[in-house]
Amino acid sequence: MKQNKWVILGLLAAVAVMSTVLLASPAAADKLQEAIAKTPQGVGPGMIDPKGEPGFLGIPGGARPFWLLGIAWGIWVGWIFSTVGAFGGIMAGVGHITVFGLGDYAKTFKNTSPALNKLLTDSIRMSNQFLVGLSALISSTTYYRMGRLVLPLGICLAVGGIAAGVLVPVLTAGKIQLSHYVGYFGITVLVIGGFLFYETTPRGQASKKAAKEAAAAFEREHIKKGSSGNGVMDTAMGVRLKQWGIGRTTFTFYGVEFGFSPILALIGGFFINAISSFIGVGGGFLYVPYLTSVAGLPMYIVAGTSALAVLVGMISSILSYMFVKHVPADLMFIGVELVGIAIGSVLGPMTSKRIPDIWLKRIFVVLALYVGIGYTLRGFFDLRLPGL
Amino acid sequence: MHSLLLAIDPYVIWFYRLTGHAFPDFLIGTFVLAFATLLIGEICISVVFLICRQHIDRTTAEMVRYQNLSEDAQAAGNQDAYRASNKLANDAFGRTFFMQIAFSAAFLWPIFFALTWMGSRFSDVEFPLLFTGASVTYVCVFIPLYAAAYLGFKRVKNRLPYFRTIKRMLDSSDGNPRDLQEMAVLRPASRQTTV
Repeated sequence: MKQNKWVILGLLAAVAVMSTVLLASPAAADKLQEAIAKTPQGVGPGMIDPKGEPGFLGIPGGARPFWLLGIAWGIWVGWIFSTVGAFGGIMAGVGHITVFGLGDYAKTFKNTSPALNKLLTDSIRMSNQFLVGLSALISSTTYYRMGRLVLPLGICLAVGGIAAGVLVPVLTAGKIQLSHYVGYFGITVLVIGGFLFYETTPRGQASKKAAKEAAAAFEREHIKKGSSGNGVMDTAMGVRLKQWGIGRTTFTFYGVEFGFSPILALIGGFFINAISSFIGVGGGFLYVPYLTSVAGLPMYIVAGTSALAVLVGMISSILSYMFVKHVPADLMFIGVELVGIAIGSVLGPMTSKRIPDIWLKRIFVVLALYVGIGYTLRGFFDLRLPGL
Repeated sequence: MHSLLLAIDPYVIWFYRLTGHAFPDFLIGTFVLAFATLLIGEICISVVFLICRQHIDRTTAEMVRYQNLSEDAQAAGNQDAYRASNKLANDAFGRTFFMQIAFSAAFLWPIFFALTWMGSRFSDVEFPLLFTGASVTYVCVFIPLYAAAYLGFKRVKNRLPYFRTIKRMLDSSDGNPRDLQEMAVLRPASRQTTV
C-alpha cells in the first residue's frame, strides 16, 4: 500500500507539472486586463468606471459583495454540508450566481463586452470548484489513508478524470455566456433534486428501510452464531489483483471476487469530472453511487478509490482553469466564504439532532425544484423567478 | 489593498527583507507565510474537531458498523445482507465525506488570505521555468513551500503541547476520521473472522 501511495503521488505530481508546463501560454497577457481594456468606460450598466473602487476580481467599479454576506452564506453552505451533504455545493453556486450579485453583474456585459461576460462566468465556475473541490482535498486524503485502493480502478477513474479536468477548461473557458451556464446549472440542480426527491418518496424510504431491516436481521443472527460465522475467509486479506484486462479486471477483497470494466470506469471518471469541472459541483456526489453500481464495491474500497478520483479530478481542473486558461479568482472572497463554511460546519451537528433527516431532505427538494426551474428558465428563456 | 491585509502587511513583509538578496528573501518570506498559514489552519480545524467530536464519532461509528457488517455478510456468503449493509455503509460514508468537506474549510481559509496578500505584493513577479520558455507566478512558489511546511510540521506536530493534547483527546474517541486506522483493525478482537 505504501509503495502504491508513492506511485500515485508521483503520477499526480507528474501530471500537474506536465500539464502546467506543456499547456501554459508563455508570457501570456493578463486576460482580465485585456477584457477590461475592451469594455466601454462609464458608470452605466455594462461599463467600467476606471475611477471606481476596485470590486470583484479587482475590477474598477465592480460588484462589491459585502464580506459579511459572504460569511453568512458560507455558514448556510457549511451547515448544509454537515447535515444533508450533497446540496451544499449547489448552494455555493447559488451564492456566486445570485446572492452576491455576481451573475447580474456579469450579465450587464453580455452585449457591451462579451469577453468580460465569459471571463466572469469562468471565474464563477472556478470559484464553485475552489469552495467545494479544494475542501475535498483534505477529506480525500483522509479517506484515501483509511480506505483500500483498487489501483487499476483508481487509475482508470483518475485518467478519465484528468482528461475531463484538462479538456473541459481548455475547451470551454472563455466560451460560455453566463446565461447558458446558469441554464446548465439549473438542469444539474434539477437532476440532483430528483435524486433527493426519490429518497423522500415512499419507495425510496421503503428501500432504505428494507436495507436496515436486512442488515439488522443479519447482525442479530451473526452475533448469535458468534465470531467465526459460517464462512471461511481467505488468508490473503485486503485487495489482491487477480486479472488485469482492458475488458474486465478482477480482484479479491477478503477472499471475495469483484470485477469491473476499465473502459466503463474510464468513461465514468471522464463524465463525472466533466460535470464537476463544467458546473463546479457534482463530483463527490456522483462517484460513490457510480462505484457501487459499477462493481458493487464494498464501502471500504469506495472510500479510498473515490477519494483518489475526486482528488485527481479536482487538481487537474483547477490547475487548468488557473494556469492554462488564466481564469482569475477573487481569492480573498473565497477565503471569506470558507470562514463561513467552517462556522456552518460546527453549527450543523448542533442542530441536526433537532431536525429529522427526512424533513431536511424535503426542504432541500423544494429548494432544488425552485432553484433548478428558476435557473433553467433564466438561463435558456430569460424568465426570472422571484429571488433568482 | 484590503484594510485587513494592510494591517498585517508590515509584519509579513519583514520576513521578505532578511538577507537583502531578492530570491532567497522571497523563499524565506514565503516559507514563513506558508508555515503561519498552516499553523492557523491546524489550530482552527482542531477546534472544529473538538467541538464536533461526538457528532463525528456517531456518524463514523455508523459507517464502520455497516462496513464491518458487510464484510461479515461477505464471509458468510449472504449476498442480500451484504448488499443491504454495503448500501447503508455507503450512505453513511457519503454523509461523513461531505461533513469532512465542511470541516476542511477551517483548515484552508488562511491560504486564500495569504495568497491574496502575496498577489497584492508579487502579482507582477514571474519565475521562468528552465528549458521551457514558460514562467510561473508566486502561487507556484507558495504551493510547494506550503507542502514542505506541511510535511515538516507533521513530523513535529504531536510533540507540541497543544497538539499533543488534541491528539490524546481525539485518540480516545471511537472514530476520529483524521486518525482513523484501517477499519479492519477497529473491529474488536472477538469479532474478527478467523481462518
